[in-house]
Amino acid sequence: MHVRVHFYSYFKDLTGCAQSEETAAEASTLADFLRKLFQQFPKLAAMEKSMLVAVGVDYQPRDYVLKDGDEVSLFPPVQGG
Amino acid sequence: MKRKLTITKQPIDEAELLCAREMSEGMGAVIYFLGVVRGTEAPDKKISAIEYEAFQKMVEHQFNLLFDEMGKRWPIESVRLVHRVGVVKVNEPSLWVEVVAPHRGEAFAACQWLIDEMKRVVPIWKKPIAA
Repeated sequence: MHVRVHFYSYFKDLTGCAQSEETAAEASTLADFLRKLFQQFPKLAAMEKSMLVAVGVDYQPRDYVLKDGDEVSLFPPVQGG
Repeated sequence: MKRKLTITKQPIDEAELLCAREMSEGMGAVIYFLGVVRGTEAPDKKISAIEYEAFQKMVEHQFNLLFDEMGKRWPIESVRLVHRVGVVKVNEPSLWVEVVAPHRGEAFAACQWLIDEMKRVVPIWKKPIAA
């Protein structure tokens, strides 16, 4: 499956990019996918606990099962206002 | 409930927003809040501005979910919210929120709740710019 990942705020500095094209095995959960992604972007791993994860424009839990073409966004706690 | 959301790089024009206010005869309370960029970030760190970054599509979606929930919790007639993105200088407003309701209790409560929830779920981030 193809999954596009977007990084926001200082996560762009940690990864060195704003987005990345990734592949995921069929029936991968977000947790599976993040584990694999942290190998590619090790600096992100330290942010795992506070990291917010969205698929499309909705927050999703770590047991969400990815679908082909999903767009995953990873970002630190939000700070509007 | 009427709603108007504006995410903009342009300065917030308070006078224009006030002139555009609409409310029906049954309304008795208008609460509006202005969030302004402070000149310090941490206790002693002076800054000149904050750069706001937004995940625009998700910002719009999450605000609409909050407006839906707000309309279920309180008898609000309208909400208008403006949030700046890009560089906002110290003393300039970054956020303007208005809630119109029949009574002040629900207007205050809804406005406070909306801002608290915004800070929890709406994907906007700050990057301070040193003075």
